[in-house]
Amino acid sequence: MSTSAPASRSVRDALYEAPGPRTRRRVRIATAISLILVVAALAAIGYRFYITGQFAPRYWTFFAKATTWKFLLQGFAGTVRVALTAGAIALALGLLLMLGRISHVKALSTVCRIVTDFFRSLPSLLLIYFFFLIVPQYGIKMSSFWMLTLPVALAASGVLAEVFRAGVNAVPKGQVEAALSLGMSPLRTTFKIVLPQAIRFVIPSLISQLVVVVKDTTVAYVVSYPDLMQNARVLITNYDALVSVYFTIAIIYILINYAINQASIYVSHRLGVKIIR
Amino acid sequence: MTDATTQQPLIELKHVDKHFGSLHVLRDINLSIVPGEVVVVIGPSGSGKSTLCRAINRLETIDSGEILIDGKPLPQEGRELAAMRAELGMVFQQFNLFSHMTVLENVMLAPTDVLGLSREEARGRAMSLLERVGVAEQAEKVPAQISGGQQQRVAIARALAMHPRAMLFDEPTSALDPEMINEVLEVMIGLARQGMTMVVVTHEMNFARRVADRVVFMADGAIVEEGAPDAFFDHPQTQRARDFLDSIKNH
Repeated sequence: MSTSAPASRSVRDALYEAPGPRTRRRVRIATAISLILVVAALAAIGYRFYITGQFAPRYWTFFAKATTWKFLLQGFAGTVRVALTAGAIALALGLLLMLGRISHVKALSTVCRIVTDFFRSLPSLLLIYFFFLIVPQYGIKMSSFWMLTLPVALAASGVLAEVFRAGVNAVPKGQVEAALSLGMSPLRTTFKIVLPQAIRFVIPSLISQLVVVVKDTTVAYVVSYPDLMQNARVLITNYDALVSVYFTIAIIYILINYAINQASIYVSHRLGVKIIR
Repeated sequence: MTDATTQQPLIELKHVDKHFGSLHVLRDINLSIVPGEVVVVIGPSGSGKSTLCRAINRLETIDSGEILIDGKPLPQEGRELAAMRAELGMVFQQFNLFSHMTVLENVMLAPTDVLGLSREEARGRAMSLLERVGVAEQAEKVPAQISGGQQQRVAIARALAMHPRAMLFDEPTSALDPEMINEVLEVMIGLARQGMTMVVVTHEMNFARRVADRVVFMADGAIVEEGAPDAFFDHPQTQRARDFLDSIKNH
């Protein structure tokens, strides 16, 4: 919130003092050794790929076809659709769960705590099986999109409720006291003073959580929803090319999540939230 | 500067007691403040003076006794409590400006939200108050961009924007750098001169001597001594008060 851009600090700066000359020499030696090890590991992997024939043209030439990329792009669009929808539902539901949990109404607060903990502790795969295998038995028809999106959203909502609650707890008590002392109602105080500040505090965590949502969507194959992972599996079967396809989509997932992380850093800077990374 | 015997008290505490667990923080507090009176509460830290100040608008609850505002019991909750709080301005040690709003929005919020003023009216009121406390040029900044002294003056303007009947100050200068204390005290002195009813918890003895109609000395949760400032500072009646005054002198 200050005018000057916050100095970029890493966890290292926050935890350790500036190194002296002897430490710096040791750091240099360790850096050199690690570099050699990394290069050696990469070379070993490349070599294994080579002797097992992974560089053979038949594993890679289909990436030159437009249809391959069109198909992957459709999968990418599916992933984005599910991730954004699930993310939006999880945000809204997480906020509601948190508001319920901090309420003075004991019954409501207890229910919201149980629901939060329930979704937070369940693996999303289990929730997906529930929507895929159990829900249809009760005659509820759902598209594969919702069979994937709802469980991913529910699983994330529990985590987000806790993220929001951490944000609310981080708002200084004096802010509430000041609002109350001006004659504002507790409800207005929550919505005009506490929540805007709480959300600002946790925006970086909220966006990081979107990374988890994106990764959760990869279990789409359970319900045969055509996301990036599912379409990749189709390519693998078509071209009998396991490693090259997984390698390629791994890079795409890394790029997506890198972009999300960059977005969270950008947003935090815009809001003047100091984060340590 | 009113005659305390003839008027109905604006704020009255009767036999107020409060415990924090086993700690007896307020012991049988009896205090009444008439309109226009400036009461300065002093005492060592942990004496319960902040708790007393905060109890008056129910930021602290009490265990027993009565707090009356204008002869009526302090409401316990809901709309009535909010309405009562709106009539009592409060200034905190840590300023507590809303950190996500500009200075101007801080001062405009409650008049629009609680009193239902239009934005134009609220803006006019806010700007003239910011002018009065000398921070009008900072109106568009957020609290983190201005100094502690400026923040506290904004906090005073924010409380005044509700046109309160009395102002409660809970150690308003204790968190300030020394060079900023006076700018805040000047604003408070101005308020006192204009006849505002004030309860001020402070360590600023010169302020107490200059501005107070009455000094209340607290120790261990009880009011040990009270009186006119000159009488209290020059001839304290109790050993406890003498010890306290000695401990803060000689520097």
